[in-house]
Amino acid sequence: MDLALSPEQEMLKTAVRRFVQQEYPKETLLQIASPTEPTPEGPWNRLTQTGWLGILIPTEYGGEGGSFTDAGVLFEELGRGPVPGPHISSAVVAALTLLEGGTEDQKREWLPRMATGEVRMVAAITEAEYGWQSTDVHLTAKQNGNGYRLNGTKAYVYDGEAATHLLCAARSDESNDVGLVIVPADAAGISARGLPGFAWNLSEIAIENVSAEATQVLGGEFAGGWEALERAQQKAIPVLCAYQVGGSQAIYEISVDYSRTRHQFGTPIGRFQRVQDQIINLLNNLDAARWTAYEALWKLDIGREAADSVHLAKAVGSEGYYEACNFAHEVHAGVGSMTEYGLTLHTTASRTLYHYLGDPKFHRRRLADALGL
Amino acid sequence: MDFEPRYTPEQEEFRQEVKAWMKDNMPPGIVHPADPIDLTEEQYQLRREFGRRLGAKGWLWPTASTEYGGGGLDVDHSVVLEEEAEAAGLTIPPFYDSGGRLGGASIVVWGSDEQKKFFLPPIFTGEVRTWQLLSEPEAGSDLANVKSTAVKDGDDYIINGQKVFVGSSLGCDYMWTLTVTDTEAKRHENLGWFMIPSTLPGITVQPMDLLISGGESGAGSGVKNTVFFDNVRVPAFNLIGGHNNGWKVATTHLELEHGTGGKISRNTVVDRLFDYCRSTNRNGQPITKDPDAREKLVEVHIEQEIVRLLQLRNYWMRHSGVTTTYEGPQASYMRKTLGLKMSRHILDILGPAALTFDPKLGAADGHMEAHSRAGIIAIHPGGTTDIQKVIMSRRIGIGREVREKAGALS
Repeated sequence: MDLALSPEQEMLKTAVRRFVQQEYPKETLLQIASPTEPTPEGPWNRLTQTGWLGILIPTEYGGEGGSFTDAGVLFEELGRGPVPGPHISSAVVAALTLLEGGTEDQKREWLPRMATGEVRMVAAITEAEYGWQSTDVHLTAKQNGNGYRLNGTKAYVYDGEAATHLLCAARSDESNDVGLVIVPADAAGISARGLPGFAWNLSEIAIENVSAEATQVLGGEFAGGWEALERAQQKAIPVLCAYQVGGSQAIYEISVDYSRTRHQFGTPIGRFQRVQDQIINLLNNLDAARWTAYEALWKLDIGREAADSVHLAKAVGSEGYYEACNFAHEVHAGVGSMTEYGLTLHTTASRTLYHYLGDPKFHRRRLADALGL
Repeated sequence: MDFEPRYTPEQEEFRQEVKAWMKDNMPPGIVHPADPIDLTEEQYQLRREFGRRLGAKGWLWPTASTEYGGGGLDVDHSVVLEEEAEAAGLTIPPFYDSGGRLGGASIVVWGSDEQKKFFLPPIFTGEVRTWQLLSEPEAGSDLANVKSTAVKDGDDYIINGQKVFVGSSLGCDYMWTLTVTDTEAKRHENLGWFMIPSTLPGITVQPMDLLISGGESGAGSGVKNTVFFDNVRVPAFNLIGGHNNGWKVATTHLELEHGTGGKISRNTVVDRLFDYCRSTNRNGQPITKDPDAREKLVEVHIEQEIVRLLQLRNYWMRHSGVTTTYEGPQASYMRKTLGLKMSRHILDILGPAALTFDPKLGAADGHMEAHSRAGIIAIHPGGTTDIQKVIMSRRIGIGREVREKAGALS
């Protein structure tokens, strides 16, 4: 048993933390989040130059061929920002789906360019009647000569607007199988619009009469596409959980700092046990999320059956980040609600990530199945 | 990272040795009552006999020094011993005892050579059973507020006072306790830590009437007692760590009691609950197929997994020498709140069958009824959940520039 990171992982952690501090300071993150200010391109370009987006892509496809725990370390540090995507959506979710279900030609065509960030492929799965099961997919692919015609509307697509390509879940008109079709985001008939409000980088994507060749279908056929996506999600989820852990860790640290420096009634607020309770509840959520996430990553690395750990990690991780933000708000009160303070960047992220790749309710049901109940 | 204990060929060899030895030496007929209060004298003596056999082998307190009768084994070996005992439904030691893990640890750190040679070997070989006497009517969470007194009289101390929530059923051989040795001195500098033979004149043990004693099955304590000291004459030799130094002696075992050690064993109540729900039909199907019950069972599983991982983390931290701060009280807090939440889930899943050990209507041989009582009671021994949060806050440094250090362990 050894719950420490390896020396190489410690070095990666330090390097990513420095990168995030340098390239994504709070001011930059606020600028990116602002609906009115232009998004600076420098930080993202430099992130792609690090090669980190290829962390889970095998070396033969131009990636780093790292372990799942390596990816957890990387994304935990990005989660501290929280540095916005499209990184997990493309370099983890879509890349793993291609690895699970793509033809050799598809892997060679896409993975090297996803590792460099040139291609940002985002899985477009959910629709207006929201859900993460294949029965929730209604977008149709109708046979059209040798290819297909896609019709339908995707909703709540995470990082949808930042995508260069979509990995679009579609139901075959012919076989009723749900598969995945790779389409350029700027193809004729595709229009994306960001969802306003508290949603974080979510969009609706209308797909009207979009043509696709048979070679654009993942694995060359609809059958098996959805299963490949599910296998990929099992591996991607613990990495997403590590990202949520990073967010919780960051707000835990600012909350402890604030408890020392903010004075009310003539004393640091952290001397009040009510305030202490908030921070301890935050920490308990953080640690629960941390160790469930890293145990799942470890199981993936050693190739052990991980379904129960994956569903556990997402249920605990999603609730953990959500609750951690709430407790941090209790500590900060009015100050925490001010955009310029930065806490709301996490609060906003925590709500959308609560649902991304399945909400706690969904994963609790899957966990019951995995436990053989 | 590696979340699993790895066993070396040497450990596996040791496991075979332990298995074979236990087969030959574990007295037959050991049973596990749902409520430890039902542990009979006969059952207790079976456990003591097994304890003495383990002690003679150095396996009762495997990591304690051989100089004082312990096994002198490393953690790798003690893990194997604990696992093999657990497989038989027992713990090591196989009975309630506060001597080896807590009191003994304080004597190792604070006792003189002569005291160590006198007090430790009987504890580590299982010849004596030892109770801790800490709480008093006026000293619960605020342990330093004890009122019982020890007054120097020649070569002896005369002890007077009352201790509550003490020990177990079926008596003990030694008691260790904390009393005021100087009524004028400052708080924390006014106490003495004594190791006292339970047979001294003036000691009265009176069982308390409680909802449950809060222990888990196996090595649970059964009953708790009030202990009265009425002019009990104790030789000064039995004072450990010196006059007015008792608080420091106590911090050693308090730190251990607050859960820093961590452990890697399963929660047997959870296992029994799942087994019961899988094997029991209601309305024509196993309880596990009922949607409401599934939801609750998953909740129990999730909460248990979190506690398991935090204890695993603490176990690893302790055995790999990583400095701990808040982790001990955190695991204690989470374990206790898990127990309380579980008693609610059990009530939801099983209904009133969770509230009786009636052989016809009660669930899981009374284990669910016992946990229903224990859930709310077990959150207080060894420091209440609120006290665990107070300690965590100090260790984290919430509202403070300086983080309080964890107590000395060895």
